[in-house]
Amino acid sequence: MRAIAALVALLAPFPALAAGERVSIQGEVIDTWCYYSGVMGGPDAVVGTAHHTCALWCSAGGIPVGILGDDGQVYMVLKIEGDDGSASGDTQLRLASHQVTADGMLYERDGLKYIVVEKVVSDGITNLSHEDYDVIPPFAIPKPKN
Amino acid sequence: MTRFLIALMAFAAPAAAQDFSEGSTARTWNLFAEKPAFFEARVVDMLCELTGDCADNCGDGRRQLGLVRAADNALIFPNKNSQPAFTGAAVELLPFCGQDVEVDGLMLDDPDLGARNIYLVQKIRTLGSSEWVKANRWTKEWAANHPQAKGKGPWFRRDPRVAAMIAEDGYLGLGAEEEADYVREYHE
Repeated sequence: MRAIAALVALLAPFPALAAGERVSIQGEVIDTWCYYSGVMGGPDAVVGTAHHTCALWCSAGGIPVGILGDDGQVYMVLKIEGDDGSASGDTQLRLASHQVTADGMLYERDGLKYIVVEKVVSDGITNLSHEDYDVIPPFAIPKPKN
Repeated sequence: MTRFLIALMAFAAPAAAQDFSEGSTARTWNLFAEKPAFFEARVVDMLCELTGDCADNCGDGRRQLGLVRAADNALIFPNKNSQPAFTGAAVELLPFCGQDVEVDGLMLDDPDLGARNIYLVQKIRTLGSSEWVKANRWTKEWAANHPQAKGKGPWFRRDPRVAAMIAEDGYLGLGAEEEADYVREYHE
């Protein structure tokens, strides 16, 4: 019976703090909903300059921000340099679409990767995706009123 | 004994592969990887749940909130509320911080993009309550917090922070002056 109890303990799902791992991630600060959902188009269209205004809207609107790493993985941002404003915070808003190097702690749970960024260095916006996609969504640049 | 152990393993195995669509009345958004998902969960502060860095009242709206699903303890990340307006879910979940709730909405599962347990929440109710709360309060909250931005048009055209950033950095983020020619020709 003890063996069975031990087996149950081993197999049963359990909540626990994920163990953090120190990492340095290079990638672009993205709007995760547009990237994951495809609501605005394919993954190459919802990054960079083409999607910058939409990325601002989504970040200000409280949609989670992530770093699309050069390794193709998305790292959901929980905190940046002490700012825990992961829902519409100022720090993440200023970094929308920027290419960054982010040092911090990585956590993984249930198929997603999360990062608490301790230090971030931005190289600015370097992905000139508007050259291929114009602007996504097209109404991001409003028509002149006259 | 073998049968017993197999049954035991089935009971104890993570419920990630379970179908949570039963009982859902979620509206489709016609997204590639969407699936209706109705389940019981506890509303948590994501940063606290993952790292132990906790704040009063789940961060009072500053932080992203999550759902720890009762069936399998999976941490679900609600990225989106039910409004088609570039709006997240934390505002909708904040009144339920720390509570056991039922939620209905759409789950995204797209392995090609790494989308796992990404959720669009459409309605929420405290466990045991019969009254649903629609997850569409974001724009009203924004309007209440930005009385100076009152006017016509959607919130994202009037948001002071977004407007300031576009004024400085432009629509492409390259600098308003640098992209002036592109913007001028865009609608021509």
